[in-house]
Amino acid sequence: MFLVMKNIFLHLQCMNLGTEILVLLKKELVLEWRQKYAISGILLYVLSTVFIVFVSARELDPSTWNSFFWIIILFASVNAITKSFVQEGGNRQLYYYSLVSPLAVIISKIVYNVGLLLLISILTFFTFGLFSGSPVQDLNQFWLAIFLGSLGFSITFTFISAIASKSNNSATLMAILGFPVVIPILLMLIKLSSSALGLETKGNIDNDILILIGIDFLLVGMSIILFPFLWRD
Amino acid sequence: MIKHWWKVLGAGLVLYSLIVGLSVPLKSGVLDVSPSMLQGGKSYDLIINTYNATFSDENPIDVWIKVDDDNALAARAVKVLGETKLSAHFDIPNYFPNEKENWAYSIIINDKTNGAFIRPRSIAVKFDQINKEIWKNNPVGSLYKIDKMTFPFRSVLYETIRNTYYHVPMWFAMTIIFLVSVFYSIKYLRKKDPLVDLKVRSLTTVGVLLGFMGLITGSLWARSTWGTWWTFSEIKMNMAAIALLIYLAYFVLRNSFDDEEKRAKISAVYNVFACMAMIPLLFVIPRVVTSSLHPGNGGNPAIGGEDLDNTMRMVFYPAVIGWILMGIWLATLLYRVYKIEYKLLDDDV
Amino acid sequence: MKSIKFLLTFLFVHISILFSFAAETDDIFFRSGKIYIVIGVIVIIFIGIILFLISLERKVKRLENQININE
Repeated sequence: MFLVMKNIFLHLQCMNLGTEILVLLKKELVLEWRQKYAISGILLYVLSTVFIVFVSARELDPSTWNSFFWIIILFASVNAITKSFVQEGGNRQLYYYSLVSPLAVIISKIVYNVGLLLLISILTFFTFGLFSGSPVQDLNQFWLAIFLGSLGFSITFTFISAIASKSNNSATLMAILGFPVVIPILLMLIKLSSSALGLETKGNIDNDILILIGIDFLLVGMSIILFPFLWRD
Repeated sequence: MIKHWWKVLGAGLVLYSLIVGLSVPLKSGVLDVSPSMLQGGKSYDLIINTYNATFSDENPIDVWIKVDDDNALAARAVKVLGETKLSAHFDIPNYFPNEKENWAYSIIINDKTNGAFIRPRSIAVKFDQINKEIWKNNPVGSLYKIDKMTFPFRSVLYETIRNTYYHVPMWFAMTIIFLVSVFYSIKYLRKKDPLVDLKVRSLTTVGVLLGFMGLITGSLWARSTWGTWWTFSEIKMNMAAIALLIYLAYFVLRNSFDDEEKRAKISAVYNVFACMAMIPLLFVIPRVVTSSLHPGNGGNPAIGGEDLDNTMRMVFYPAVIGWILMGIWLATLLYRVYKIEYKLLDDDV
Repeated sequence: MKSIKFLLTFLFVHISILFSFAAETDDIFFRSGKIYIVIGVIVIIFIGIILFLISLERKVKRLENQININE
């Protein structure tokens, strides 16, 4: 009897969390749609950076191609995610917090940012392809790298943005706090994608992917555990 | 005094590492051999410069070119040119039993006062024609051993091998102190005690100090052995730099808040998150970077192998423990100052 | 933070002097088995600890002043 009750309760809780997340995601989308300048600003940023890279370098060999690609995505994602907590002022955040659980807030932000970063990465990839043709040999593996990269970047930077939003000069803090933390993910991504570009022999790719997924899980776990300490003050 | 035993222990261990680490001599070693490119069928007077050896005419000195485990070529005559300088006369035959292209042979020197010592891969021999009959084996005879306590002689490193006791413990102490600070950050998040935050603050300050001392001493050592102040292909240096970047960012974060409670809470969250984000680096590093100049990576022997022999361990481990204790001592001093500052501020309000 | 900045600048100044000295005298290092590198390392550590003590003393001094004012 008790077990059944408990199960129903758990189920109910899950439902609640699920609906909360969905509502918050919808809110993010509506917000993004209303302020189109933000997302179009990011996309324009990507386009112009890629343009500058190719104007200044003309021809890129695959290894430089690889590092430029990831650096552009890194900077674009910092710019894109900085606003995710900063744009909502203290009062509005307080309002959310009184309505929904902290878990729903952080998870919805992370999920939304994964989508945003995927969009940015895909756009970057196609712009790169447009300007120089793509040196990618194993396309599936490269897409996997892009997906895992968006996941890792979005988790890290979303949490860092939650930290940075508490301070007054959050834009600077984002870069300072975020870059050292994201280095492990970046190193793994560059390795994964450089083997997709045929620069390295493919030894133990599965293991690399597992490590990346492991990092993502660890960071999600830490975000979920630590976010409640951040959210109300 | 009883309460302060660990401070005494820490200072004592550091002092011990300074005294023993500096006073124990290096083992004798060969600095250089010339000429080092030899031709089969000719005779040579090899000039051998040694380090930390004192030769005299009274003791017989043996010099061998070691061909492989069973075969060696003995010098026909050895002359003492100076206290540390030898001249060894070799008749190089037209054949060595292990005859390989570009193979470098080792030189072994053996005498009573200095003991036996070896310079691996110091001589290359080229054979124009081969005459297998002519080979006469003079295997390496019984070698002298000296009982004196010595540190190993490594070419390129020379005396700087002693830096193992001064540079490496900085990193050990830094890592331990950062880990302790993370522990206190977690404690702060549970207890919300402002004094615990002061502990974190003082620990991270001392950790950054140790980190910088490790970085600068390492840089100096790298200049003398690898020829550069900094190399990006060197993963241990990069890891150290990342750790320092994180904690410098931590201080920037701290300073961007005026409200004490907010500052303590948010910096504690960052400390824990950054530490957890660093753990994967331990798994990532060996896969991303396969070459390293440090021992223990990329084909270099690890600590525990040849690099740290038993005499070195007797100094190295005490030095590590000593520096950890010293670091904690410095941190507690700083913490006490912060605590007084905090209480005074509290009284004013 | 101020004390750390102070500490770092001084460390860098000292070390850069040491470095420029080291670069010119590779030869001497070689002949003496590079013992000066070891001495340099110990000196750097010593300087680091001295700088720590100096910054600590400044903090204590500030506290002393504060107490005098309060009394």
